[in-house]
Amino acid sequence: MSWVVLAYRLPREPSTPRSALWRKLRRFGAAQVLDGLAALPLDARNREQLEWLADEVLEAGGEATIWIAELGSAAQERDLAARMAEAVAQDYRVLIEEAARAHEQAPGQRRRTLGRLRRELRRIRARDYFPPPEREPARRALDELAALVEEPVG
Amino acid sequence: MKWATRRHCHIDRAACAWLIRRFIDAEAEFVFVDDLDEVSEDATPFDMRGVALSHHGGDCSFETMLRRYELLDPVLWELAKIVHEADLADERYDAPEAPGLDVLLRGLSMVRDDYELLALSAPLFDGLYEYRKRAMLTGREPA
Repeated sequence: MSWVVLAYRLPREPSTPRSALWRKLRRFGAAQVLDGLAALPLDARNREQLEWLADEVLEAGGEATIWIAELGSAAQERDLAARMAEAVAQDYRVLIEEAARAHEQAPGQRRRTLGRLRRELRRIRARDYFPPPEREPARRALDELAALVEEPVG
Repeated sequence: MKWATRRHCHIDRAACAWLIRRFIDAEAEFVFVDDLDEVSEDATPFDMRGVALSHHGGDCSFETMLRRYELLDPVLWELAKIVHEADLADERYDAPEAPGLDVLLRGLSMVRDDYELLALSAPLFDGLYEYRKRAMLTGREPA
């Protein structure tokens, strides 16, 4: 498979562009291959998102180039995919725990938690390129919470 | 005037094209290219890497255009929040319409070419503008 890769260098100071870039890469689910090298599976949207980030790096006085790349071997590709899957799995696990804790909440608060966790699940799924086993349990955890929310009080 | 942008338009380019036709250049003619090198001298490029009318400082191209053309209409800035979130989803703004609009435009772009996409999405943006305008005037979501 092909990857879109952002190679970048940002000045250490000011730190705001660095942390903004880091936050955005994390939200896209990009793999940080090395310091200054972030990769995403190639599709039109990912390519565009990384291109805009490259421009932000340039505007912040850094250097950035966009590469279309392939891993040198299937084993390396599996490793990278496994790392990305594990990062997303961790996010799913946190969500499952939060959903479980919400069972103990008062009905009003539980409903708000459900709304928040549903948005969170959407965000995680958007960066889930190599679905781990936790994906289905996460969806089920929210379905169960939703069923509880819809139960009539009494 | 001639305006150029990247092929396979999505939300930001569709919204910019609508903005151009409605508020900047009623006679606007659009061309779609794969690379900035293909943009002719007489065309103004937008939403492409390395041009003035594009993403800047975390803004999407629609926001850049509002600034560049000094469009102060507050309804347009309400629309800008929706376009920004539909395009970038970075949660800078609270725009619950954005995920829906993103899907609608993305789906439309799968079954229509760029010219049709602009033609079909323009009334959608007209409606969104009208809705946001009424919401702003009355202080609540219109029924």
